[in-house]
Amino acid sequence: MPRRIVIIGAHAAGVDAASAARKTDRTAEITLVTKQKKAGYSPCGIPFVLGRHIPSFDKLVVFSPAYYRMMKLDLRLETTVTSISTDAKTVEMEDKTGKRERLEYDSLIITTGAYPFVPPIKGREKRGVYVLRTIDDGEKIDEAIKDAKAAVVVGAGLIGLETAVAFVERGLKTTVVELLPYVLPLMLDEDMAKVVQGMLEKKGMRVIVKHAADEILGTDKATGVSVAGERIPADIVVVATGIRANTELAKNAGITIGETRGIKTSMRMETSVKDVYAAGDCAQSASLVTHRPLLSQLGTTAVRQAKVAGINAAGGYAVFLGCLGSAVTRLFDTEIGATGLTEFMAGRAGMKTIAGTITSKTRPEYYPGALPIKVKLVVEKDTERLIGAQIIGGEEVTQRINALSFAIQKQMTVRELAKADTCYAPPLNETWEPMVLAAEIAIRKL
Amino acid sequence: MVKVDDFEVVEGLYYSKEFEWARVEDGKVRIGITEYAQKQLREIVFAELPSAGDEIKQNDPYGAVESVKAVSDLVAPLSGTIEKVNEEVMDKPELLNEDPYKKGWLLVISPTNLNTELKKLMDFDKAVEWHKELVKEG
Repeated sequence: MPRRIVIIGAHAAGVDAASAARKTDRTAEITLVTKQKKAGYSPCGIPFVLGRHIPSFDKLVVFSPAYYRMMKLDLRLETTVTSISTDAKTVEMEDKTGKRERLEYDSLIITTGAYPFVPPIKGREKRGVYVLRTIDDGEKIDEAIKDAKAAVVVGAGLIGLETAVAFVERGLKTTVVELLPYVLPLMLDEDMAKVVQGMLEKKGMRVIVKHAADEILGTDKATGVSVAGERIPADIVVVATGIRANTELAKNAGITIGETRGIKTSMRMETSVKDVYAAGDCAQSASLVTHRPLLSQLGTTAVRQAKVAGINAAGGYAVFLGCLGSAVTRLFDTEIGATGLTEFMAGRAGMKTIAGTITSKTRPEYYPGALPIKVKLVVEKDTERLIGAQIIGGEEVTQRINALSFAIQKQMTVRELAKADTCYAPPLNETWEPMVLAAEIAIRKL
Repeated sequence: MVKVDDFEVVEGLYYSKEFEWARVEDGKVRIGITEYAQKQLREIVFAELPSAGDEIKQNDPYGAVESVKAVSDLVAPLSGTIEKVNEEVMDKPELLNEDPYKKGWLLVISPTNLNTELKKLMDFDKAVEWHKELVKEG
């Protein structure tokens, strides 16, 4: 009898787990179950549709229905899994017509993702208040932009800032409110975040840090947000204060939830229950630097975890050792990337650090079009190992972050990094690589 | 040749709903995968093909193509005995992406039941309509 694999969720993690399972076992019966109308789209692209860099939301759908047919994946859209029985190895589900069905599985993969967390701000239930997670959310905001003049975004993380940039690009007077002392607090330290904030302000965005959104004003529709006694007008309010793992199904099935509030997994992405795997925004794994539990909730982590879960669920063998939270974005013309720990996060983990920071150019001064680039390296004092990096620049940030991510993963010391054999040509970069210069600065502080 | 959205459909070929094409050439039939198929699979890295002399049967799987992320069975559009296998696509599976209707052909067969089986395939006009449906469903 063919192996039966059931996957709950059909986005980045679900579809990638299905693909990996299919590659491992060509005869398995693989069923994907999702509540949503569309499967396998890229939610990360939504702010860039709002900003009109991508022409429509439809373009975000990565896999056509025909892809599932070619891969022999049984995709059940608009179907909700209501419970899992790990003893009987079954899942109960209900489609949109109310028809109930019980599916038996040999392996189960939970890729239920996450939901936007909305803090208890007074007035959050008013019309004109949005979250941004799904294409439905994106379409509603897109519609609202058409008649709007001003927007407030609560939360200055990646999604919040990407959305705020889209609002500015669509001509709205835009304000971002962040409770913490600086923007992108999970990616950057304050010194680097201030550079980003300055750039955003130059582009016309107002950024308020160290303050909460106290109340969403208006009778039944939002007309503004009250921040530290000031009334900031807004026709659109987007709350982007982070996401929380969807773990209810797992919890109800007796599967262990970890300290990060994600589903606890082994290196094979197996949960506390045999033959049940988890991957993506709902799944906890480990930090490659601290080896402590980490809920990464990034698209890259999701697909890498999902590949491992899919291979194992289909009878193969693969491990996911952990992640660094490597992330990159572009806000207006500025690229911002980070990997590993910030100094702040390292301090919270009890590590003593030094940092090396340099501002350089992406090409020699004499070559037209050279853009600024600022590199910060975070080094653990005791071991002299690189444990984190942050880069802000006009171009070429992504592959530098990737290179530094490899260096951290291979536990490279900052002295080794300072001897890196880099390449050079005037149209492309400087003779002295900024990452190497930052390493030399860090070494002086050791 | 016409393009439906971003997908080429070529005149003179027969098409199966398993995303394969068949071209009748002097009593023999050359078969391969459609452009729509290669674009869904993306970077194809491996083609698993049978050998000359083997038999294939309409609607039965005879091999597989694997891409970086996907794997799909190859399903025979017609029945017959394999005369030739495209060795080049085994070495250079990217030919399936670059030129699925010409250099990326997979097999040449001697058909065993051609006239009856061809009726079960789509001709060019029907294939164009079918591609329009595929594009519409997303």
